[in-house]
Amino acid sequence: MSDILTVEGMQTYIGQFHILEGVSLSVPRESITVLLGRNGAGKTTTLKSILGLTPPSEGRVVFNGEEIQGKRAYDIAEMGIGYVPEHRAIFRNLSVGENLKIAERKNGDLERRSHFIFDLFPDLKRLYHLPGDHLSGGQQQMLAVARALVPDNQLLLIDEPSSGLAPVLIEQVMEAIRELSASTTVLLVEQNFLMASQLGENYIIIDEGKSVHRGAMEELVEDEALIQQYLGASVSKAGGER
Amino acid sequence: MNVRQLWRERNAQLVVAAILIALSVIGWTAMGQKPFIRTLLSGLTLGALLFMVAAGLTLIFGLMDVLNFAHGTMFMVGAYAGWQFYTNPTFLFGLAPLVLASITGLALTPVLRKLSMTWSIPERWRRTLGALLIVGSLVVGLVSVLGLDIKGLAETAMVPSMVAADPLQEATPQEPLATFWYRPTLALLAGLLLALAQARPGDRTQVVHREEVNRGLALAGGLFVLTIVATLVREAAPLAVLTLNANVRFVLCLLVGALIGGGLGAVVEMGLIRPLYERPIFQVMVTLGLAFVLTEVIQVLWDPLPYQMSRPPLFSQPGKADSLLAWFSEHTTTVDVMGVTFPSYRLFIIVLGGVMLLGLHLLMKYSRLGMIIRAGVQDREMVEALGINVERVFTLVFALGAGLAALGGIGAAPFIPVEPVMGDRFLMQGFITVVIGGMGSYSGAAVGALLLGLARAFGDYLALKFSLTPAISEASTVIVMAIVLLVRPAGLFGRKE
Repeated sequence: MSDILTVEGMQTYIGQFHILEGVSLSVPRESITVLLGRNGAGKTTTLKSILGLTPPSEGRVVFNGEEIQGKRAYDIAEMGIGYVPEHRAIFRNLSVGENLKIAERKNGDLERRSHFIFDLFPDLKRLYHLPGDHLSGGQQQMLAVARALVPDNQLLLIDEPSSGLAPVLIEQVMEAIRELSASTTVLLVEQNFLMASQLGENYIIIDEGKSVHRGAMEELVEDEALIQQYLGASVSKAGGER
Repeated sequence: MNVRQLWRERNAQLVVAAILIALSVIGWTAMGQKPFIRTLLSGLTLGALLFMVAAGLTLIFGLMDVLNFAHGTMFMVGAYAGWQFYTNPTFLFGLAPLVLASITGLALTPVLRKLSMTWSIPERWRRTLGALLIVGSLVVGLVSVLGLDIKGLAETAMVPSMVAADPLQEATPQEPLATFWYRPTLALLAGLLLALAQARPGDRTQVVHREEVNRGLALAGGLFVLTIVATLVREAAPLAVLTLNANVRFVLCLLVGALIGGGLGAVVEMGLIRPLYERPIFQVMVTLGLAFVLTEVIQVLWDPLPYQMSRPPLFSQPGKADSLLAWFSEHTTTVDVMGVTFPSYRLFIIVLGGVMLLGLHLLMKYSRLGMIIRAGVQDREMVEALGINVERVFTLVFALGAGLAALGGIGAAPFIPVEPVMGDRFLMQGFITVVIGGMGSYSGAAVGALLLGLARAFGDYLALKFSLTPAISEASTVIVMAIVLLVRPAGLFGRKE
């Protein structure tokens, strides 16, 4: 059992829109896997469907050997999946400390992990008592990642951590993700191809709601034609705001 | 710099405070001290009541996007429940076993779903079966109360005054257990049938998880034990309550009213609101329908007459206390507040409103539930993604809101008439309060309630003084709302969407 997560033929409707028309992927343990694809290809929906926020109508999602499709999102998260949504969705009306505290699943989670978290993001310790909306964009992104590290998560779903951040901050976030991938598995959605190619060990390309390609990142970097076919637009804009 | 930051964050609070202070100074000088203080205290009393209704309304809307038209009904139910408990709790204890038994059955829904989803029932029969189960549940429920003198139980509290009569004689004897036992059993069965209808037997597309089944079993187990206890103490409990000191009974009736309101809220959320989260319009209709139904039920039980709950001895000793301090030893009906004679019970309402605000503030600020609610008002999906059972939080918040409204109702019962329409009156005002304060903000609801209460009281005063039509004070609430919305469309403390 080397894959922590396997998805087979996942289909998802949002309202009457058929967003995912068959996504299959697998995420090996203790690695970073990157979901690539154009805007609107269905990458975010893929993460949300795995977590049950937009429940898939068909297909299988297997986490740690257990089928989780159709479960409630909170039950799925409880099994050990952390989610870092795009646009730095922290709780702006809660303090930094509360943003971390709310992610506890057992009493004392934060205390146990605080060393690890504040080593990774020293800023957050300083800002602990400030309300979330006083934080800068980069600090908010770090808080969103840190929040997912409070409980014992075995898999982190991270959605576009670089979007809207200045290059120097992207560097910092990348470093943090690389560091934490030593102990957890990461499934990452990333538009910034440079960042994706440097972080990811494996990739999955999603196009028009279907997973169309997967493999090792090293091979993809060499394959200009493939990149051009599925990612052309987003590569040329790499690093910029969407 | 610091001043500017303070201004940016708290401009709404500061402006409201400045306006209130300015108006107070004008009022004090123009009206004279005594009329000003009397009007101010009336306004505060009304504001406290409005806050009790609006606090739950705004929390429920902010977190769950549910416009709860049954909220005023919770206020009314609280008033009736508390009034019953205080005057003669025979009715409550007589029906408790049946209510608890049917809820026990309903709580088993996930268990039944697990058991029944694999039954092979042809698709076209399923709807019919569901309808049959609901009808069956209603029939069994009716049979369970057949011959039970509910109206008689309800009338036990309708005696004019309990002060002179011996309370022990007023508590009518209940059916002996030997003939009563089948009633809760049938009520349980009715609950089970309804639960089975909700479980949609034969529908294999449903997913039921162990966690849900366990939650259902635990809840039903607890309720079952309560049912048995309630069945056994039907007769002893009302007598025991009636022999209690009336002041203690009054405190208890506040608690019981709040608990009954909260319990009703929890059942309503789980049974009616939860299945409709995908269809918000239906939620509004279902709460509106519930308000009508409950009002009618109350009318059948107690007739559409207004009742007056007697005040506890703590607030009803004859005479007037010379100061608040003196009241604590004399417990008189009225108190002298800075030269104004004011009913002591109304002061109690102001205090109760303040205590509620403080309690709510502590809960929201320092408890984990409060943290989750504040987070959920902003981003419900993310709360769920953290592994927090939002459904349970929704039920809790709905129960909390309903409980607060019910507490307001029972608090108000000793000085406003207890009647079926009392809830509707406060609901509209409650909605206006919530809109002024900003949807989802309990501190906004507090400020909104304060503004409305004062506007109303001073409006009354002006109408009287300049012999204007009393409609002026009615309109004052809407005028305040219009002004606030013109300046801040999201309400005083609302966030812009």
